[in-house]
Amino acid sequence: MDQRAQSSVLFREIKRHRSVYLLLIIPLAYYIVFKYIPIFNGQIAFKDYMALDGVLGSRWVGLEHFRTFIRSYYFAELLRNTLMYSFGKLIFSLPIAILLAIAIYESNRPHLRKVVQTLAYLPHFLSWVIMYGILLALLAPGDGIINDIVKALGGKSVDFLTSTKAFPWIVIFSDAWKEMGWSAIIFIAALMGIDPSLFEAALVEGANSWQRVRYITLPSIRPVIVIVVLLRLGTILDAGFNQIFMLYSTPVLSVGDIIDTWVYRQGLLEFQFGLATAVGLFKGIIGMALILFSNRLVKRFGGNALY
Amino acid sequence: MKKQRVLWICLVAVLSLITLPVFSQGAKDSAATGPVAIELWYGAAVTEAGPPPADWVGYSIIKEKLNIDLKLTALPSNESDQDVKIQAAAAANNLPDLFMVRRDVLGRLVGQGLVAPVDDLYAKMPIRTATHYDSVSQSHARFAGKSYGLADPGSINKNEGLLIRKDWLDNLGLAVPTTLDELMDVLRAFTYDDPDGNGKNDTYGYGAFQEINNYEAWPGRRLEPIFGAFGVDGTWSLKAADPGLMVLKDGFFDAMVFLKKMVDEGVMDPNWLAYKKDDFRAAWKQGRFGVMREQNAAFAAESNYAPFDKNFPNGEWIVVDAPIGPGGHASIGPYTASFRIYAISAKAEKAGKKDKIAALLEWMASDEGYYLLGWGVEGVNYTLDKNGVPVADQIANRDLAFTGSVGQTVTQLRNMVFYNGDIELLARYPKYITATSKKEMSALEVLRTMQTKTWTAAIGSDTLPIPNADLKRFYEQGLSEFITGKRVLNRTNWNAWIEQFKKLGGQSWNDSAVAFAAEHGLLI
Repeated sequence: MDQRAQSSVLFREIKRHRSVYLLLIIPLAYYIVFKYIPIFNGQIAFKDYMALDGVLGSRWVGLEHFRTFIRSYYFAELLRNTLMYSFGKLIFSLPIAILLAIAIYESNRPHLRKVVQTLAYLPHFLSWVIMYGILLALLAPGDGIINDIVKALGGKSVDFLTSTKAFPWIVIFSDAWKEMGWSAIIFIAALMGIDPSLFEAALVEGANSWQRVRYITLPSIRPVIVIVVLLRLGTILDAGFNQIFMLYSTPVLSVGDIIDTWVYRQGLLEFQFGLATAVGLFKGIIGMALILFSNRLVKRFGGNALY
Repeated sequence: MKKQRVLWICLVAVLSLITLPVFSQGAKDSAATGPVAIELWYGAAVTEAGPPPADWVGYSIIKEKLNIDLKLTALPSNESDQDVKIQAAAAANNLPDLFMVRRDVLGRLVGQGLVAPVDDLYAKMPIRTATHYDSVSQSHARFAGKSYGLADPGSINKNEGLLIRKDWLDNLGLAVPTTLDELMDVLRAFTYDDPDGNGKNDTYGYGAFQEINNYEAWPGRRLEPIFGAFGVDGTWSLKAADPGLMVLKDGFFDAMVFLKKMVDEGVMDPNWLAYKKDDFRAAWKQGRFGVMREQNAAFAAESNYAPFDKNFPNGEWIVVDAPIGPGGHASIGPYTASFRIYAISAKAEKAGKKDKIAALLEWMASDEGYYLLGWGVEGVNYTLDKNGVPVADQIANRDLAFTGSVGQTVTQLRNMVFYNGDIELLARYPKYITATSKKEMSALEVLRTMQTKTWTAAIGSDTLPIPNADLKRFYEQGLSEFITGKRVLNRTNWNAWIEQFKKLGGQSWNDSAVAFAAEHGLLI
């Protein structure tokens, strides 16, 4: 088929599915404007960026910004904290979201299911500013509800928000609480796709609820779990700037400072956009490498990989 | 083939519609004739109120008299959010014509060549220069010999004070403390002797939160009276005989030991490290603690005092002297000349807008601009009392009064015209009778009392070099860890931490600041 005929087929296809292609335009524009065009500005990572000179006119500095980041006094600690929160959230939040999805799916009381779903989704729509207010009311050492209970039981109040031991747990728990409902949606969707005849057959065979979950539900949604984990690995160095920025304070910097909060202070507030871009690029490269590596691993062991 | 072309054209057109606004950022005004458009990013006077309405009379007066089409954008109320907004615009070389900016950020913009020098404008604004820009102001935003910002008078000097619950002292039969030891005794009594007599163990001695800036480093402003008792309040000593970072002075360790004692004995509100400003202010209004450092209006202005008055009709705060420390030192804290800087972008200068901006600012300083931006329209938003002071109580529609919800929107630019003159202070802080306890209150009288107390002169300390982010973190984190107990606070650990601080860049930060202070005549 010559080139002209090929393009004719393509356009016939586009015309036939024009409504779908029309739907594609807005997301496509979004990705072009906000994801692809900015790639051009990625060269700032290798330049001493001066706004007046623009991206092209600024002086090349090679890998200087990368060296500044890696040699910074807190680099090891920043990396450790970032990975701790990312993996902590992945390990802790993901199972909770899966359990919630299964619980909602298995429930045979529609009203209870709706109430639980609504209550679980609600925190996702609250900003971290509001969440901080709620956490302060719960956890403040002087008059927080949790500490009031601790004191009433004869214990000593705990500085949850300013103690280096408690703070990481607060970050992970509060994230799980806020996001579990929203994260469960994709698993509920996967559960909805399971063939009901499998459950009916299991019932006939006398399988109990746990056996149905173990032998039907979990294996059926395994591909979705793998994909969610793979996608999360791509943003493993994004530990949740908004959350940490709202929750952390000077006494917990040693366990609270992550790469993004450092970039905010060192890059954005100090007008070092080259450095901020270099760190962004660094994070992107690590994330991409992790996705490629994990995807290959999944494929090697016969799982459902991303591509 | 034709249909394919049409389809492609449609696709490109839709994409263009979406993307064009992005690329049009920073496009020049196409109108070569007609009014000059001036974009102003201002600091709102009342952050909880909206911007001036679209039909605000000021727009038409400015257009008619100055041929200026004024476009207003309010900056975020939070300083760091302001910085981010300005720096993001700067990174895209898309700064507005005129904008409020903090000095640290201005310094970075100067380094990037994004702002225009303003030295030539003072002579073009004789009225404004006489009331707003004295020699201290003109040097405040000077970098490499040129002034890059118009520094308007900011908040009033020494407008905070150490306050103590007089009713709690009376209930416990205690006298006003004058020394640090007496203060500690009072704090213990406020914490453990049920000063409010409600039978519950729900009060604390001292309330604070971490409020830090470049001349009041960690633990910050709210605890300066404690550090002042050791002669180490503020980030910097500007004494010619012993200049430099306070943290390197001997008294700082003693102050830290005292603060640690306050924390360990439980006389500090334990929430102090977790509080944000609003939490702290809600806490004193709920009667959680009996000693604090607070600002005059945040304490005594009608709307701010009302919740405390309602909760505690018999409650009474009084402004007291700074406690005297073991070496005879006492201070509420350091004070400096406070300014709000407005800068002109290099882009505006290039577009030939500097003179128009000067005309606009000069008009703002005229009687017409001063009253219009300060209080609104006479008869609509305010009336003048027999002393010529704008008042709100004669306005029938309370919402329209300059103190009301609608009236506040037309006074959003008042910080660009106010210079802390008597009329402003009398209008801003009128006497009033509290709703519940029927007490007469005046934030102005509170201010005057606060200003009589002992303060440490540190003029220009907010212009000294700032540390890089890592050094700043090391400084703040280290001090907080000594107080929270993560590091043991003893001489050996302290000296080791100081040595590490110096090695990390603390010594060169100290030395460069001392050299800067000497060069600019800031040492006293």
